[in-house]
Parts: sequence; C-alpha cells; structure tokens
Amino acid sequence: MSRAETGPLTRFGVPLVVAGAAIVVGYLFSVGLDGYFVYLGMSAIVAGIALLGLGVVTGSAGMVSLCQLTFAAVGAWVVSYLNRAGAPGGFLVWLLCGGIAAGLVGVLVGLPALRLRGINLAVVTLGLAAAADLTLVQIQFPGTVDGVSVERPEAFSDDRGYFWLGTMVLTACCLLVHFLRRTRWGSGWQAVAFSERGTAAAGASVRTSKLSAFAVSAALGGVAGGLLTGQVGLAFPASFTAMQSLALYVLAIMSGAHLIDMAIFGAVLWVAVPELLKRWGVPQDWGFVVFGLLGTHALATGGNLGTAVRELWRRRSKGAASIELSAPPSDVELPTPGEPVLVVRDLSVSFGEVKALSHVDISVPSNGVLGVIGPNGAGKSTLVDILSGFLPQATGSVELDGLKLNGLSPTRRARAGLRRTFQQDRVPAGLTVGSYVRFVARRRLSTAEITDALEFFGCPPARTPLRRVDVGARRLVEVVGHLLAKPKVLLLDEPAAGLPHEEHVALGLRLRQVPARFGVSVLLIEHDLDLVRSVCDTITVLDFGQVLASGPQAEVLANPEVLKAYMGETELL
Amino acid sequence: MLQGALAGLAAGGLYAVLAVCLTLMSRLVRVVNFAQSATGMFGCYVAVWLSVHVGLPTWAATVVGIVLGGGLSALLGWIISTWLAEADIGTRSAVTVAVLLLLISLSFILFGNKPQPFHPILDGPAFSVNGVVVSQVTVVTVVLSVVIALGCRALLTKTSFGLELRALSERPTTAELMGIPAKPLAVAVWAATGLLSTLVISIVAPSQSNDATSLSMLVVPASAAALLGGFRRLDLAVVGGLVLGMAQGAVAQVDSLSVVRYFLPFLVIVGLLLWSQRKEVWDVAR
Repeated sequence: MSRAETGPLTRFGVPLVVAGAAIVVGYLFSVGLDGYFVYLGMSAIVAGIALLGLGVVTGSAGMVSLCQLTFAAVGAWVVSYLNRAGAPGGFLVWLLCGGIAAGLVGVLVGLPALRLRGINLAVVTLGLAAAADLTLVQIQFPGTVDGVSVERPEAFSDDRGYFWLGTMVLTACCLLVHFLRRTRWGSGWQAVAFSERGTAAAGASVRTSKLSAFAVSAALGGVAGGLLTGQVGLAFPASFTAMQSLALYVLAIMSGAHLIDMAIFGAVLWVAVPELLKRWGVPQDWGFVVFGLLGTHALATGGNLGTAVRELWRRRSKGAASIELSAPPSDVELPTPGEPVLVVRDLSVSFGEVKALSHVDISVPSNGVLGVIGPNGAGKSTLVDILSGFLPQATGSVELDGLKLNGLSPTRRARAGLRRTFQQDRVPAGLTVGSYVRFVARRRLSTAEITDALEFFGCPPARTPLRRVDVGARRLVEVVGHLLAKPKVLLLDEPAAGLPHEEHVALGLRLRQVPARFGVSVLLIEHDLDLVRSVCDTITVLDFGQVLASGPQAEVLANPEVLKAYMGETELL
Repeated sequence: MLQGALAGLAAGGLYAVLAVCLTLMSRLVRVVNFAQSATGMFGCYVAVWLSVHVGLPTWAATVVGIVLGGGLSALLGWIISTWLAEADIGTRSAVTVAVLLLLISLSFILFGNKPQPFHPILDGPAFSVNGVVVSQVTVVTVVLSVVIALGCRALLTKTSFGLELRALSERPTTAELMGIPAKPLAVAVWAATGLLSTLVISIVAPSQSNDATSLSMLVVPASAAALLGGFRRLDLAVVGGLVLGMAQGAVAQVDSLSVVRYFLPFLVIVGLLLWSQRKEVWDVAR
C-alpha cells in the first residue's frame, strides 16, 4: 500500500471542479426553476452560509455558539448602512465589508471566549443574542424607516440572477472553508476541539485557534446576513431573532454542519421542512418543534446525520488501522551522547500540602536518551508537565541549550524546541495522519520525509483518517509528528502504553536510533524496564518526588536503594 | 433612580429565584438548564389558557400550571438522566438548548406569539418609602427568593435527603454504589426547580413584558446572577439577581441608556466569567 498523500492536482483540482459544477447547476436552477422555488432556494443559500459558519465553530472547534444570526444582523446592518450612504463599490463590496465587520465583532465576542469553554460560551452567546434582539427592534436597520431598499448588482438584479449570484457566493464560502480547514488554522480548530493541552504542546496557540474559528464563523454569518438583505431589500429585526439562532445551532448539531455537504443539506431542511408543513396545512411553527425534537435526539445520542451517513459508507470499507513493528533497520551508527542540552536544577512543586517534586536535578545529554523511571506516584508525569510549561507555579530553573525557559508558556516552549507527548490520547480524530503530522511539525515537510518517518515507526499511511487508527498507533503518530518538528529535546511520556507488550522492545530499538536519525535528544519516561534497558544509557530514578539515583544504566539498576523502591513492582524483579 | 431601582426589584426577585434554580441544577444534577424559564413560561401560559378558555378560577388554573411546569421539567430530567447519565455538563446542557427552542415554538403554535391576557395574582402597592411605591409583587418575590435560598440551604445541609443529594453531586459513582437512588433523586431536583420557576413566573409575569420569547430569555439575566455565585453559592445568586434587577430598573429611567439596559446581563456575564476564570488555563487537569 502506498503511504503517500494525494498529490496537489487532486487536492486543488477536485474541489475546484466540484465548485465549477455547483455554479453551473446554480445557473440551471436559476433559469429552470419556478419563481417561487428560486426565492426559497435563495433562503436556503443564506441559511447554508450561516450553517457553514456554525460548522466551523461548533463542529470543528467544538464551541457552542448561539448567536449566529446576531453576526448575520451585523452583516445586514453594514450592507444597509453602506447602501443608504451610497458608498462606492456596489453590493459585492458592501457584502464583503459586512462579512469583515461581523468577523471583527466575532473577534470581540471571542476574546472573552478564549478562556471560556463549553457551556460558559453558550451562556455568553445566548446573552449577546438576547441583547441584540431587543436592541435591533429599538434602533432598526438603516434605511428601513425611510424605505431605502438595498440595490443589487446590475447584472444580477432580478430574482433569478440574484439566486445565481447567491450560488456563487455560497460556492466561494464552501471553497474558503474547505481550504481553510486544510491549513494550519483548520488543523488547529480540530486540535483545540479535542484537547487544548495537545494543541499547545504542538506549538500552536490555543488563542489563535479559537479566535480564528470564531472570526471565520462570524464573518460567514455576516455574509449570510448581507446576502439576505439583498434578497429582501429591507432588513427587519424579525429575520435575526435569538430564537432563529437557537434553531440554526440545533440544526447545525443535528445535521453535522462541520461537513460541507451536510451544512448544505441542513440548509435545504431549514427551508423544506416549514414549506412542506405549509403545504400540508400545518402551522409553520411546527418546523422548529421538529428541529427541537430531532436536535434533542441528536444531542442525547451524540450522533448526527452527517456522521451517520459516513459511518454507513465506511462500514463497507476497511476496519481499524494499527502499527506494524518488525525489527528496525540497523543501518545507522549510534552517536555518543555529548554535552547536556536540557539542564534542570532544583525543580520543586507542591499541590497543597503534597510535595509532588522536591529539588530535582536532571540533565539530558545531546544526542542521547535519558530514561526516567520510578514507581507510580513518583512524580514522573509531573516532571514532564513542569518542563513543558503546564505547571507555571513550579520553582527551579529549566535551561534548554543555554536558553532559560522559566516563565514561558507551553506554546512558546514547544516553539523553542522542547516538545512533549502525552500519556493520554491527545490526537484529534478529525484529521488524517498526514495533516496531523504536518500540524504538529510546524515546518514545511516533503511527502517523502513524512512517509519515511511513518514507515520507520510502522505507522499507518499518511492519508489514513486518524479516527480509523487505534490508540496505541495514534500515540506513535504523535511521536512522529513531534520528531519531525526537529526539536532539541523531546519528552516522551510512556510512549509504549497502548502497544502490545511484544512490540515494546521493537519500539525501544527505534527510539535508540532517534538521536542519530532525527537529531533529537530524548527524555523517556517508561514503566516497562525491558524497554528502558534497551534504549537508555543513562537513567534517573525518581521516588516520592526526589531523585533516588542517577547515572549509567547498569550502575543505577544495581543500586540497592532503587531495588528497594521498586519492591513489589514485578517488572523489575 | 431610586424609583427605578425599586421598580426593578420585582424583576430582581424573579432573576434571583431563577438563579437559585439554575445553581441547584448545576450543583446537583450537572446541567445548566437553558430551558429553566421556558418551562415556567409554558406552565403559566397553560394556566392563562385554562382560565380564559376553560373558565377555571385564576388560583386553580395557576396551580395546574405550576404542577405542569414541574412535570415538564421532571420529564426533561428523566430523559437526560436516562440517556446522558455519564455525559459531561456541556452535552447535558446543550440538550436543554434544543428543549428551549422546542418550548418556545410549541407555545407559539398553541397560544400565538402575542403577550397573554394574564390575570394578576397579586395586585396593588404594599407600602411606600419616601413617596416611592413598592408593589406587593416586589415584596413577595424578594421574600420568596430569600426564603427559597434559605430553605434549599437548610434542606441540603440539615436533612438526610440533602446529604444524599450532595453525595450524589460530588461522588456520583460512590453514592450509587452505596445504594442512593440516583435517577429518582435527579428527577426530583428537576421537578422541584420546575415548580419553583413556574411559581415565581406566575407571580411576576402579569406585570412584565410577558411574550413567550421574553419570558424564556429570562434565563440570561438569571444565569448572570447565578454566575456571581459561580453556579455554586445560593446566597450570592440571590444577591446577584436582586442587584441586577435594581440596576436594570435604575438604567431604564434614563432614555438614552435603554440599549445599555439590554446589554447589562450580557456585560455582567462576560465580566464575571472573565473574573472567575482568570486563573483557569487548561481544559483538563492533566
């Protein structure tokens, strides 16, 4: 099986061809459909753009946003204002301004959201939606009182033409979202939805990821609002109520709007459900009742339409991917460890009365692998947390290649060349192996480089979706990503956990070659002493938060104190 | 200003009771219930309908409405504790967003989207301070909010029922292993907060803007008040509700500040959250 990712032709060509086809279909609809359906179609387009935005913030970045139509109202307000003021540039420029303005409002609302997550953000956005609702009724949109309706571009001035324009705007928005999701920003959205710690450890800023998701989502909302204004001529507050924002959110969750096709399908539902009800003589308000019921169901069962359809499709394809580790190639010469590159002095941290670590000194040699072992609760993972900047209250000094790291955030430390992996699964399932590795590496990588590294660790091919990769293999993909970032030191927190025991030593033999192959020094935390023996020349033993012994492997493992600390731990006996 | 502030006190009492309900829910059953006031709204609307169309006396209709509000809330609680017993607070709360939408649109269908012809249960002034009249509604809601908060506190700290509830909220698995019936207790909390919110909305709604959306969106100022107590402390939730109501009332006196009044709960929410979360950095402890 080829491990390469798809080429640039497929990556850019296919979406562009689909987009072209969509515009052609839009044109055919605009000339072929009944006038009433063209009008309905336009409403679906507006809803589709708003849903795309919600898909970014709720689906990709995992935040709850209940004020999408408030952003739409900002877009509508700007378009109405510019129209009334007779601003130059015409409708499309105004539309763009509306989108940008809404994006800026999104950034403002998003700023407090940086530290807020989940349900707090829901409270904030609902509060904003409710306030905007009342305010809009009071101040009204510019031009509505004196009846100055928004001028459409000349070439698209009738309803059919405007529908076609709408199709093009929608297509452009879909392309934007599609390509953004393949950039560092997009990977960041996926990563931050899954784990903030994991995102920071990859050297990406949690703040930028959240803020960009919120801004893009709000900007799309703004474009939707502007487009709606052009459709109806005069904007009214009734089109932007908090209630409709709630309904859009529920619809986004229910349909799985982070998938572009599902956002569009959701938009069709948005228009079709009330329309069908009307035809059957049922009051249209039942539409929201239907959405409410389906949404309750979707949220209560944790599924959505888009994922369900894809699951059905996938069931016919292959099962889970895992790693295949055989004997590693032994064509490299192991370098001799050099001067210390990571020097830790007098590190201490307490949680309340508990001293988790006290006065710990550690140094990792360049081109070497240092093993840190110790019984459960010895403070090994705390050590990694402190070194990577997640416990800023710790005292003591951490120097990386002469650079003092104290006071730097985890993101800064990762960028300075001190990387870490996690004991828990911190790999976002929404990405492919390749895009995740590129995201973590934070530098331009050739396809061959990625393929080689993945092959060396027996990982699944780059184009495998991570959700099909088992947990043990995911954690090795994480290791590969961080190694390709070429940090000075990589802290590995029990990388073998999740792998079958017989593969531990095979992994160890590879880790031993890491300094030579990747030019990265390693601090390895491990439980499995077989693995540690096969990798590390030097070992530091922690017990009850203190260094019990430190030095060459044979010497440390023969130390009676160490044996005593490990009594009862069958691994050593 | 004083007149405005005192006028806003009735709304403040309403916010306070709802905030107490939200705090109880968040503490005891791990839900920020966005449908808290919507359930109350629905119960009240049914009461109005019963009194107008069926001819039930106001008090009887109100009692039926309150019971219905409690029942609706209990049903929702049953659904959430059945299907989302292990889910995190975010997912559980998101379900209530869908329910909020459901209840508002159902009320549009059943009762139309106009304010309802409420029969006031309480009417007229209670007393006056320096020529400023304080209505009976104000006195009752404020007293009610304090009594409910004190009552809940006593229930939680002094009775064995309260002890079981706290055990369940702090160590759910351990509590269940000790034989504390998790689901019935959770449903009871839902029912109780449903009853309380319908009760207080029945008292205040006749003298407020009482269309379905306004009543349902009362959850916004209520959560602002609950946030003052960090969704944990009942006393601060009551204080928060009363102060927010008075502030809104005072601001409403000045015409040029009316937009500020709408944004007041939002600004309070943002401010409080930023303050209370200033030290929180990461999504999980490790």
